[in-house]
Amino acid sequence: MTSYKDKIQISVAGEELSASIVTNDIANNFFAHRRSGRMALFLFGLIFLAGIVAFITKAMDGFDSSQRANWGYFAALFAFLLSAAGSAPLVAVGFRMTANHWRRPFARISEIYAVVGLLTIVCLMPLLALLPPIGDCSSGPCRKTLWFTSEYWGVPTFWDFAGLLALVVCGIALLLVSALPDIAQISALSESKSRPLLSKLTKFWTGTQSQWHIHRISLSLLGGFYFILLIGVQTIINVDYVMSLVPGWKDSILPAHQALTGIQAGVASVVIVAFIARTFGGYKKYFPMESFWSISKILLALSLLWAYFWFAEVNTLWYGRMPVEQNILKLVMFESYRLPFALNFSMNFLLPFFILLWNPIRKSVIGPTVASILIVVGSFFMMVRLYVPAFGIQDVTAFQITYVPAAIYPDFLDLIMIAGGISGAVFIYLLSTRIIPILSLWEVKEGLLYQRVRPFLRGEYQVLGKPK
Amino acid sequence: MATQSILGLYENAEYAAEASESLENAGFSKEEFDFLTDTPYPEGALGERHHSHRLYVFPFIGALLGLSTALLLTIGTQISYPLITGGKPILSIPPMVIISYEGTMLGAILFTIIGIIFESRLGPNLKNRLYDPRISEGLIGLIVDCNESKIATAEQVMTQAGAIEIKRK
Repeated sequence: MTSYKDKIQISVAGEELSASIVTNDIANNFFAHRRSGRMALFLFGLIFLAGIVAFITKAMDGFDSSQRANWGYFAALFAFLLSAAGSAPLVAVGFRMTANHWRRPFARISEIYAVVGLLTIVCLMPLLALLPPIGDCSSGPCRKTLWFTSEYWGVPTFWDFAGLLALVVCGIALLLVSALPDIAQISALSESKSRPLLSKLTKFWTGTQSQWHIHRISLSLLGGFYFILLIGVQTIINVDYVMSLVPGWKDSILPAHQALTGIQAGVASVVIVAFIARTFGGYKKYFPMESFWSISKILLALSLLWAYFWFAEVNTLWYGRMPVEQNILKLVMFESYRLPFALNFSMNFLLPFFILLWNPIRKSVIGPTVASILIVVGSFFMMVRLYVPAFGIQDVTAFQITYVPAAIYPDFLDLIMIAGGISGAVFIYLLSTRIIPILSLWEVKEGLLYQRVRPFLRGEYQVLGKPK
Repeated sequence: MATQSILGLYENAEYAAEASESLENAGFSKEEFDFLTDTPYPEGALGERHHSHRLYVFPFIGALLGLSTALLLTIGTQISYPLITGGKPILSIPPMVIISYEGTMLGAILFTIIGIIFESRLGPNLKNRLYDPRISEGLIGLIVDCNESKIATAEQVMTQAGAIEIKRK
């Protein structure tokens, strides 16, 4: 009879791990502060600064709702950040609820995206000033909105802001609650300069079973709230900043389509950072190919779903056959903005679908990463083809648009603002990884309790436990 | 009599679970000891006490307060400025929906955060408990808070159960 010993591994081909190895690995990496990391922080910070300067320069030319057309690309940037970064925390929330193990290395990467919400709030503030008044339909020209009336206090600007604020507060609370045990643990082990501060912030966390119990419930509650809020906020923003600015546009699928694109881009954004952390961050053993393989199936499903939503959206307008519906189709898809649409369609559906269709490509690290990069870029072009034309329409109180407005092209300042905004998001993300480990220490170690590799007949297989 | 704390460190979760059984057999109640771990173990796996909490009450109260504020704002506005729009009733539900939804969510989230701070005992006035940094590397801590007279018994039981080190405050 042969004797064997179970091995604690997170994948069959991986290394044997223990709580001690994981803790020291992550703590050492966290306090390493590599030169490349500092360089990246400096570079993205510089581009972010250039973006702020471009914004101020452009704002000096005028900043009110009559000059909305100049700010379409800024609105697209805001919508892109809200969609991609705002939806990324759902990866941790959703997959934690399904209690799978492959999500463990992705969890913190996705939660850290919540801090980018601070930038989206800052971007929303000037956009609130650009929103035209709803007007009073009983006494003069007015526009149709989601809010039905402008009688209520704060409609729509305060409530747009409050919705996004609630989302960001919820996301950051989720991140802090999740990261608290990790910061406490690594600060207890390190002699770094930041240790006194980190220890002081987390000294009340000792890891008692009652604290872990509350921790588990807190993550479920905040995660649930985040999910409920995200879809609502995306819908409100889409209706207020796209549909209600284009007279005659009535489409119940578009807001849901933007929310779905956000989820797709959020998952893709997480994959991209995971690839970087695996390749350049020294975390290779914690990101097995199996994790990328599993998330690639979600990406494939989301690409198909994206196509379905688009098809439903087009069909509604196409078979409506009203002139305004034909004009809207021509505006955002087939004439004025056909280039951004072609890029959006190919990058969110065609290319990822054909890349991820093949199991050998899915079953790799690079395949899902390439598909993810395409999806994130494609999502940006989706926001361009929706927000730029909507901001270009002047007569928002008309009954319907009777013509197809021409495309508005970005000027030099727009391009700098876009580069600056995206760099700003990366800068804030990188800055956050200075105080929060990019790998969820407690979650990876929890995984070690339930994952074993053991022989079965002639092979070795992974055995997973589900403690429910 | 004054309460004292001791912390036993275990390399193996099985030994720590056995220590909790031995403590109970020696007359300690489950309220007198707790485990310190670097990762969440399945509830009850170590033989710890059942932890009751009121965390679910917080978001519920927050949601109710948020909803009430939103309704107060919308209904109050409608009653204060009773304009009939498009033949619709003065108190029309659809325009109230989004504001009510946002108010409810905002209240629920803020109260959940308060609840987490309160229920996790993360407040600044709480005493510093015994801790060992090696718990972060996988050791299991078994902390006993009991009368001075029982400390010697606790130490003996924990050592017999395989503690690699005992720390006192």
